[in-house]
Amino acid sequence: MAQPNATHGLGGLKYDPSKKARPQELNVFIAFVAIVVAFELLGRLIMGESFLFNTREGTEGLFNTQRLSIIILQVSTVGIIAIGVTQVIISGGIDLSSGSVVGATAMVAMSFAQTALVNGNPNPKAIFGDWAMDLPVLLPILIGLGVGLIAGLVNGALIAYTRIPPFIATLGMMVSARGFARWWSTGNPISFPTESYNAIGTGMNPVFVFIVLAVLFHLIMTYTKYGKHNYAIGSNEQATRMSGINVDRHKMLVYVIAGMLASVAAIVVSSKGQTAQANMGVMYELDAIAMAVIGGVSLQGGRGSIIGTVIGALIFGVIISGFTFLKLDAYYQEMVKGAIIVGAVVMDQWRQRARTRG
Amino acid sequence: MKKTLIIAGFAALLGTSAIAQDVGVSMAKFDDNFLTVLRNGLIDYSKTLPGVNLQVEDAQNDVAKQLDQINNFIASGVKAIIVNPVDTSATQAMSDAAAAAGVPLVYVNREPINIDTLPDNQAFVASNEMDSGTLETLEVCRLLKEAGKTEASAYVIMGELSNQAAVMRTKDIHDVIGGPDCGVKITILDEQTSNWSRDEAQNLMTNWMSTGTPFDAVIANNDESAIGAIQAMKAGNVDMKSVVVGGVDATQDALAAMQAGDLDATVFQDAAGQGKGSLDAALALADGKAVDQKVYIPFQLVTPANIGDFLSKN
Repeated sequence: MAQPNATHGLGGLKYDPSKKARPQELNVFIAFVAIVVAFELLGRLIMGESFLFNTREGTEGLFNTQRLSIIILQVSTVGIIAIGVTQVIISGGIDLSSGSVVGATAMVAMSFAQTALVNGNPNPKAIFGDWAMDLPVLLPILIGLGVGLIAGLVNGALIAYTRIPPFIATLGMMVSARGFARWWSTGNPISFPTESYNAIGTGMNPVFVFIVLAVLFHLIMTYTKYGKHNYAIGSNEQATRMSGINVDRHKMLVYVIAGMLASVAAIVVSSKGQTAQANMGVMYELDAIAMAVIGGVSLQGGRGSIIGTVIGALIFGVIISGFTFLKLDAYYQEMVKGAIIVGAVVMDQWRQRARTRG
Repeated sequence: MKKTLIIAGFAALLGTSAIAQDVGVSMAKFDDNFLTVLRNGLIDYSKTLPGVNLQVEDAQNDVAKQLDQINNFIASGVKAIIVNPVDTSATQAMSDAAAAAGVPLVYVNREPINIDTLPDNQAFVASNEMDSGTLETLEVCRLLKEAGKTEASAYVIMGELSNQAAVMRTKDIHDVIGGPDCGVKITILDEQTSNWSRDEAQNLMTNWMSTGTPFDAVIANNDESAIGAIQAMKAGNVDMKSVVVGGVDATQDALAAMQAGDLDATVFQDAAGQGKGSLDAALALADGKAVDQKVYIPFQLVTPANIGDFLSKN
């Protein structure tokens, strides 16, 4: 696959080391550091407190570890989805269904994860009879992953074989999966899971799941045939098809993986909150896409990386925590958040253009 | 053959909409916990009334969709319409449409903006939103006073910022704290939104705790947010006995949290009672009887002392 900047040896063009681009991730990382520094300075200026460092009396440690952990903890579930969305976007597609798949999976998985007794009383939110109570934790996990698998298969099959645009196919799934989540228990929340199901999302476990999956998919995207094919399809689908790669089968796999990662996120978030609700995951798909795009993943396909998306997720986390830290009025927060998302992408576009103009 | 089947199908559809006591119901959304209890209360009650046939639609939080549903109800000749408004400031058009067709209309749960100018055959059934935040905050005050405090600090978790109940409950909190009835001087450290959601409240509370500022109470606009805050505090090893937490709704999850000693106060809003009340009002109006234009189903404070009365209600 030809890099846009690898011009040496082509048509008499000379290799100019000054035009060698910094890796995309480095740019994103610089933006991340800039935002952190901005909050640190604003914090010291306005609040008289540090954003990152421990300035409290009577406590130990250099950093404010509680804040550092919530920054990443609060974006871990959407971050897991963003990993799946990243590989979808790199393949030239889009997945709008992930938020709804979170809702559907959470409802189904939680109904098989319920405990029979709550404070000594029978579970007031029981969905099924006694047979479905206190099941081994592996069962709700597998059933939950199955929901994502089916959603992904349907998405993938529609896109690969009926050739409808991914935007439409996954939009349909977004509506249908949300409908399914509402229908499952006629809108009622499902609560009171077993201890072992609760354990999945306690403490920093969501972060652990997020990091492990990020590393795994970084390796997959960088070193495996699957990853290389993914970039190839996103850069030039026709050429990839011509060179004998089974594009249709590959696309199925791309959407199945995205669906199952949405299910992983659903299991984590429902365990963390110890509840499943039909409206869980609303807007997650857009947050996940925003994380990927901020992280330098091109919506045209073929460009981007998991590392970039992880940094994009961290930028999200820093913004949320920073706003609360500065006690920014709740009414302004979303307005500013939207501006930051668009601003990050505008800056990226400028950099791209400056680079191609050379 | 196919054609006959289709015609038969249409005939069947038409047939069902011509029964005497058809009532159209447009709910703001189906995936809201509280509104689901209300909707189920409404449906269950209608089944006990012979000849009453409900058609329940989901407006999916879309004002335009809701107005379309109302017009469709009118077109299909229902005897009365029950609306749980998506947006309380967009009700004038709904009232106008129903009034023009002469179909009785009952608003349920959310107070319409044109409440004081409703036509005679329209009514409003709900709980008085002024009471919920007031009952909650007064109980928080009482518990803080009981703990021997004269000054205290609190965090406030708001619901959706565009929602009237959230705005009202937050105002109630301020009114009680600023008024003479509280008895404890409460300082609000910060107030932010969780969009009613447990997960967002959990993150919000953890962010607050990371500032290290000591606090005595968390006053939330709803139970889901209160539970999220409790989960965050427990994860941060906060002694739940030293913090007063209040919510609103008395959901099953909240009652379980109260039994576990984590949640201190919540307020029961009789969702099923509102559903039943709205259908009673709609049927009375359809029969041409006069009905109070504002029917209030009372809020009730729930504490560990009287929790037993509410365990089976929501």
